[in-house]
Amino acid sequence: MVLLNNLHPPTEGVRHEQAETTAVMDGQRLGCGTLYVAETRLSWFDSSGLGFSLEYPSIGLHAISRDVSTYPQEHLYVMVNGKLNKENGAEMAEKAADDDDDGSSDGGDDDEDEGPITEIRFVPSDKAALESMFSAMCECQALHPDPEDDDSDNDFEGEEYDVEEAEAEHGHADIPTFYTCDEGLSALTQEGQATLERLEGMLAQSVAQQYHMAGVRTEETKAEFEDGMEVDAAAMEAGQFEDADVEHW
Amino acid sequence: MCFCSDVVVELKNDLSICGTLHSVDQYLNIKLTDISVTDPEKYPHMLSVKNCFIRGSVVRYVQLPADEVDTQLLQDAARKEAMQQKQ
Repeated sequence: MVLLNNLHPPTEGVRHEQAETTAVMDGQRLGCGTLYVAETRLSWFDSSGLGFSLEYPSIGLHAISRDVSTYPQEHLYVMVNGKLNKENGAEMAEKAADDDDDGSSDGGDDDEDEGPITEIRFVPSDKAALESMFSAMCECQALHPDPEDDDSDNDFEGEEYDVEEAEAEHGHADIPTFYTCDEGLSALTQEGQATLERLEGMLAQSVAQQYHMAGVRTEETKAEFEDGMEVDAAAMEAGQFEDADVEHW
Repeated sequence: MCFCSDVVVELKNDLSICGTLHSVDQYLNIKLTDISVTDPEKYPHMLSVKNCFIRGSVVRYVQLPADEVDTQLLQDAARKEAMQQKQ
């Protein structure tokens, strides 16, 4: 749900409030009002109480636009997934009910993810506030992650990973390569140790095996040969052919 | 096509954004700086915005420049990470 029927600006959890901010939706100027960047939603209302609210999950991206050749004023650009019916955008605050406008109420994730978008610009009279507005929105976005699904892998529970910071601290290739033998052994868990022992056992076994082909002993430990003949390693036992009479070198 | 020196983030709505990767968080929300848009005809308004924050859930792909990615290193790191997860 992109729009709420809330007629009033949020009073709690307002991270940033910016008065004298013009809202422009898909190129249509809605007027001058106040932007509320609250933890629950993003809202804009003009002095007469008309306005709209946005849910953070519906905001695909936001950015500061400073290029006046593209748009004449510096502003906060917000891209919303899906279409807001801008014709009654101004009326939205007045309608208590009636969510279903031209199917703009989301029927499913498909519409919002890959469908059309709504571009909103918030143009504050105080351009210096843009950084704060942007940061406040970033913080609030982080409060509304998508619900976890089976595919998502949220093992990383750290803070924001800052690329520049990481490079400055560790250099460009900050990820070490394989552990050296000593380091590695001490870093192994019990499970890791068991795995290591199993693998080493397998390695020792394959080294000890000699592959025999038509009486010719080879040192080749690979199961596949370039001529396409395959040797079934599983069938081999160490010393299987030790009692063979003839050995051709 | 955009030939950014850094990353190209392709969104689920087909918009592609080039920029310098500034940071990511655990939800794969992405912050880019100095961004540009690959299809200016489609989204002219997006040209030359700065300080872009992209919600992780709208990202389809993140394209990394091939010559800046050491895939072996990446594999090793992922393996190491997986080892640490089990502790």
